[in-house]
Amino acid sequence: MERLKPLIALLNLDLLLFIAVSAVKAGFFLGAIMGFTAFLTWVERKLSSLMQDRIGPNRAAIFGFTLLGLFHPIADGIKLMMKEDFVPARADKVLFTLAPIITLVPVLAAFAVIPFGNYVDIMGYRVDLVIAKLPLGLLYVLAVSGFAIYGTFLAGWASKSNFALLGALRGAAQMISYEVVLGLTLVGLLMIYGTADLQQIVRAQGRLLFGFIPAWGIVYQFPAFLLFLTAAMAENKRTPFDVVEGESEIIGYFMEYSSMRFAVFMFAEFIEIILVAMLAATLFLGGWQIPYLSEAGFLFPGGRSIAVYPYAVALAQMAAFALKTAFMCWVLMTLRWTVPRFRFDQVMKLAWQGVLPLSLLNILVTGLALVLAGKL
Amino acid sequence: MIEIKKVNNRPLNLLERIYVWEIFKGFLVTSRHFFVNLFFPGRIITIQYPEVTRPLEYAAKGRTLHRLKLRADGSPKCVACFLCATACPAYCIHIEAAEYTDNPVEKYPAVFDVDLSRCVMCGMCVEACPEDAIAMDTEIIPGGVLKREQLYLTRDKLFKNLPGEPSLKGAANRLANEYSREAGRQ
Repeated sequence: MERLKPLIALLNLDLLLFIAVSAVKAGFFLGAIMGFTAFLTWVERKLSSLMQDRIGPNRAAIFGFTLLGLFHPIADGIKLMMKEDFVPARADKVLFTLAPIITLVPVLAAFAVIPFGNYVDIMGYRVDLVIAKLPLGLLYVLAVSGFAIYGTFLAGWASKSNFALLGALRGAAQMISYEVVLGLTLVGLLMIYGTADLQQIVRAQGRLLFGFIPAWGIVYQFPAFLLFLTAAMAENKRTPFDVVEGESEIIGYFMEYSSMRFAVFMFAEFIEIILVAMLAATLFLGGWQIPYLSEAGFLFPGGRSIAVYPYAVALAQMAAFALKTAFMCWVLMTLRWTVPRFRFDQVMKLAWQGVLPLSLLNILVTGLALVLAGKL
Repeated sequence: MIEIKKVNNRPLNLLERIYVWEIFKGFLVTSRHFFVNLFFPGRIITIQYPEVTRPLEYAAKGRTLHRLKLRADGSPKCVACFLCATACPAYCIHIEAAEYTDNPVEKYPAVFDVDLSRCVMCGMCVEACPEDAIAMDTEIIPGGVLKREQLYLTRDKLFKNLPGEPSLKGAANRLANEYSREAGRQ
């Protein structure tokens, strides 16, 4: 008991409160993301069907109610759970099991630094609406998403299947190439905002340019926005860049997977869509910022102002962030169903001869502009 | 000799080679379809098949589920001549003939089975029938079933007259018509 005293002294009220608040924030944010992911599997099917003049899923029903096919994610989940959990005889069983986990965990971990709101004062206690306040948040996201390559490659390697290995090799080449590019496309933003803390970047985007244009990243760095979307979609391994999967040629690195192990890969892919959408919203579309809305209320360029209750402001900003994320998800999905698959040489050429030089040029131009504007 | 058609594709201009603008144009096309279909779902031409069916037109009406016609007195028009079973390319018709006790002229089918799991819906049996007894004009399209037996139609399932029948006109069954007329007089 005597020995534990310093430990008990450490567990003071502040620390306990911090742990509790962090747990609540993580539970809330990750719960929302998981729910949205399940919803997104339905959105993908419905959206693709609508843009191809079809009706889409509408059969799964509970007591005769179909709700536009909203029960299909549940039906899919039940189906995947009932399937046989198959491991090929010659597969490396440990790595085979580990691969889906390694794919899923980094994608989920990256959400820790994404700010989904400013902050709220609850009885004098300031709660920042981001799970982890990390000064190097952007670098953390890039580092953690670099882990995803291990999942892809281990899955292909451990299943001891030629097609899976082929997919994994393609995946390794593609993801490493675009990892480089992804980081470089964001350097321009780092130079302008002068910080890698995502919360600080979002706060900086609340300023106004010339007094009326919101200083969002997309205004400063429109080319970087396109380059970032390209690189992020390639990281995500979805259709324009899905030579890794290529349903019509090789099934891809998860070819030997079945049941919930396969579902984890699928789930990680959909969560990554949300991650890319949230990053795009945070870095380029002003995050939780609503134009002209500050903590006190609306402050329009003409000088007129409307006071808004602080909690309402926080809620509206969280809703704005959700809306921007949903919009970016819609853009990503529509692009996925619009653009046909690139050939593998085209994918690599685009990375090394297209996006990489252009992002270097973007850094150069941004630097020159900052020097000329006297901000550097 | 096979003629080779040479397609002269226009070389892509700079804007098309950069591709971003072309992607944006494609994006507009797909999102236009998305929003039009989202707000006007009635424009989608998909039919909810098992519940809703398209009205059949012209010859398609004559390629639907079989039926065996009946005379006014309720006896089958079929005289068990085996011509339909002979004409059937899928061998899906099975007939066993029997004789009426009071009618020395014609037979009747004691068994008349149609195996829909083999039937190719070609309509040859209808063409072959000299008595106009079998028809494929019910406008029912045999769909999926849960049990094999449901695809095996026996004689009593096939007997069916459409509204306005029985008609004793037409066909080559003069003998049968004369017989029933005489039976009516007595």
